[in-house]
Amino acid sequence: MTQFVQVIILGLLIGGVYALLAAGLTLIFGVMDVINVAQGALLIFAAFVAWTLWKDLGIDPLLGVLITTPLMFAIGWAMYMLTIQFLAGKPASMSVLLTFALALVIEGTMGILWSTTYHASTPGYFAESFRPGAFYLPKAQVYGCVIAVGVLTALYVLLRYTWLGRAIRAVSENVTSARLVGVNPKKVAALTFAVGVATTGAGGSIVSVLYPFLPGSHYQWISRLLGVIVLGGMGSLPGAVVGALALGVAETTTATYISPRWATMVPYVLIVVVLLARPQGIAGVRLREDAAL
Amino acid sequence: MSERLRGHGWHLALGASLFFLAVYPLVSDNLYYQNMIILSLLLAVMGSGWNIISGFTGYVSLGQSAFLGIGAYTTALLSVRVFDGASPFWFVPVSAVVAGAFAAVVGAVLMRTRGHSFVILTIAFLFCMQLIVLNWSALTNGNHGVTLPLPQWNTDYQDWPFYYSLFALMLISVATAWWIRRTKLGLGLLAIREDEHKAGGVGVNTPIYKVLAFVASAIWIGAAGGIYAYYLTFIDPRGMFDIIVSVQIVLAVLLGGRGTIWGPVLGAFVLEPLNETTNQHFGSGNERLIFFGGLLALVVLVLPRGIIPSVEERLARRREAGTAAEVGTRLERAVSPSDRAAPSPAPGGSGRILLEVKGVEKRFGGIQALAGCSVGVEEGTITGLIGPNGSGKTTLFNVIDGTMRPDRGEVWFDGQRIDRLHTWERAHRGLGRTFQTTRLFRGISVLENVVAPLQAFSWRHLATVAVTGPEAERAEELLDFVGMRRFVDRRAEELSFGQQKLVELAQVLMLDPKLILLDEPAGGINPTLVGQMAEMIRELNRRGTTFLVVEHNMPLVLGLCDPIHVLARGSCICSGTPEAVQADPSVLDAYLGDDYLLEREAVGG
Repeated sequence: MTQFVQVIILGLLIGGVYALLAAGLTLIFGVMDVINVAQGALLIFAAFVAWTLWKDLGIDPLLGVLITTPLMFAIGWAMYMLTIQFLAGKPASMSVLLTFALALVIEGTMGILWSTTYHASTPGYFAESFRPGAFYLPKAQVYGCVIAVGVLTALYVLLRYTWLGRAIRAVSENVTSARLVGVNPKKVAALTFAVGVATTGAGGSIVSVLYPFLPGSHYQWISRLLGVIVLGGMGSLPGAVVGALALGVAETTTATYISPRWATMVPYVLIVVVLLARPQGIAGVRLREDAAL
Repeated sequence: MSERLRGHGWHLALGASLFFLAVYPLVSDNLYYQNMIILSLLLAVMGSGWNIISGFTGYVSLGQSAFLGIGAYTTALLSVRVFDGASPFWFVPVSAVVAGAFAAVVGAVLMRTRGHSFVILTIAFLFCMQLIVLNWSALTNGNHGVTLPLPQWNTDYQDWPFYYSLFALMLISVATAWWIRRTKLGLGLLAIREDEHKAGGVGVNTPIYKVLAFVASAIWIGAAGGIYAYYLTFIDPRGMFDIIVSVQIVLAVLLGGRGTIWGPVLGAFVLEPLNETTNQHFGSGNERLIFFGGLLALVVLVLPRGIIPSVEERLARRREAGTAAEVGTRLERAVSPSDRAAPSPAPGGSGRILLEVKGVEKRFGGIQALAGCSVGVEEGTITGLIGPNGSGKTTLFNVIDGTMRPDRGEVWFDGQRIDRLHTWERAHRGLGRTFQTTRLFRGISVLENVVAPLQAFSWRHLATVAVTGPEAERAEELLDFVGMRRFVDRRAEELSFGQQKLVELAQVLMLDPKLILLDEPAGGINPTLVGQMAEMIRELNRRGTTFLVVEHNMPLVLGLCDPIHVLARGSCICSGTPEAVQADPSVLDAYLGDDYLLEREAVGG
């Protein structure tokens, strides 16, 4: 029983980090109908930046969030201006092809800059744990989850209480009407994409401490994140949070009770089952174009 | 004349290229180039396959390289584990069958989604296959891969068996694509690509078509996988279930021309040498990733239609420069169609109820679009359906034709309950529909649009020629009837809105429907055409077709329809003759308004 609770707690801790990452992905999809398959590659890129800051300048990777977040925001904005905006009017599948192509370019760039070997940030608290009662909670995971929840809250406040947030929600509801009331959809889309990518800044910094990573890790991350948003309902922020926690728990239980080798399979199985049984996910609205009758 | 010369030039170049490929190993013993051609042929086979599901059908797959892996492992395991020592070539056909079987099962599942979801599922399928092969090491030897027997033939023959078997397979793949494109199956696939829901509405059994397309796109890739495994003599999960191979397939076809017959081959022979060259210059994987990623991004953004279609379009534009556009010229006068075989019932109602909607309810979130709506359509009538915006007219059409399932209630047509049937099954029973904003298959010709509807589903039918002689004749007759015969060879998207309305009418007539649902036939077209449209509806009605018409043009409705049903807030508030409906106080209140009576008196109507 203790072991089971322990597994659940670890699952929820990692699920908190997934939630932050999936939030960025689902935000971009909700506003511009683009699934940013490069999100995983951008995440690993941010992890490499955090690792470099830690290794070369001694900046704690979790503190590095303050640097990686604005950096990833800028990269996201540039990506939108240089490529994504030209997708307008092309079929949905083309956006997947384009962002997948960008993911490959980022993967190759990382390989050149940092080589294709495993990296990991290992600050002092890396191997330490909190020990409340019979449980152990790795410090890195607790800190990571706290930061993720913090950034996620900030994102929620941004969407809920600022002008940009209202504009983003307006565009995601109805582009034409938003334009009529004075919102520039292109500007909002660029900012949304940048905000969505900025979440990988915090996410990458956390991931650099939690898991060893190499440029090719982005495939596994993007399938996890897709699993989360498909499960939660594409475009829904609360859905992404629930989906993330569910995936985190599903992964840790599979790894503990079946085999770590098959844990990597969990997101794929989840994607297939959810898309077939309930294509709109937990909290999503079923769109006519998502499923054949 | 120049057209024919151009055609000859193209065939000449194609013939010369194929001849060159056929004799190359005989005249040159350069193994480097032989290897390059072998890999190009492999990519061409995979591209041709991908083109069927993604180019013809419009479902972009990033998981097609999984079938290469499935084929490779089938041949490898059979030749190593089961029939030790037998030549792997024996098992290549088995690879094709196994890949096809996988595609049938996986396709039946994946094809229930579309757009983003489908692309993502294909990626998930590829990685799942890789993981399974990796983890099921008892069968597949997992990470360590499988080593096949070495070729036993005389070294004088170099790699000829690989070369010629892949050459033959390339020709077979191209022939398959060519054959599918010119059959009913191909026409249905194009219809699905252009507008899947509409395809169902004109009688195309979309799930069967899509799964067949997925199987056709997988079998030759599976066979190629078998040959490729033997050629490599060593396979492992990461190399065989590689997403980069999928990317190369997509790139090759996008480069050459998606949806064309030879585009995938051309693209493969452009891309593979490029691949080899970059391999030599850059060596390791990182630069290749940047190169292929950058190239894919560039092609998606700059050349999404590919080389062959872009060149063809440019040539066509040059040819047509100077000739004035025909679109928009005066419509030919509508003439009546020649007599049809079916005996026509007397005009006016026959007394038999053809369509009956009983207590249908449909709710969207907080909005009750239909609240216990009951409407009947008598055989032989032109029945009108009017009501204010948001009263549920289009939702009612959607429930009748099968676009939506009602929450409650029944729909009966021609003595059968149809509210649980698929759209195409309703079309097969004689229910046709046109749309408020026309929905033709935009990228194909007017003739193909009119021929696309199917009155029934049969397996044998799938393999027949897309447009048979009698069908073309019938289509031209119908186009003649609506005054659009001159436009048979135009692409549908080139027509004006009014012309599209007329073609859509001809298209639905091809179903030979008992009942046609017309959604605002006079909406957005000029007054002359409105008169012609009314004439055509009357003429068709005289010949036995029943109509249910949604329309806001009151003079047209009152002159054309009898009886008329009035819908308000999701239910039918009044039915009767035009005179009765106009006089009913509840109708004036809900729809026509008090001004209506005053205006009518003022103009003396």
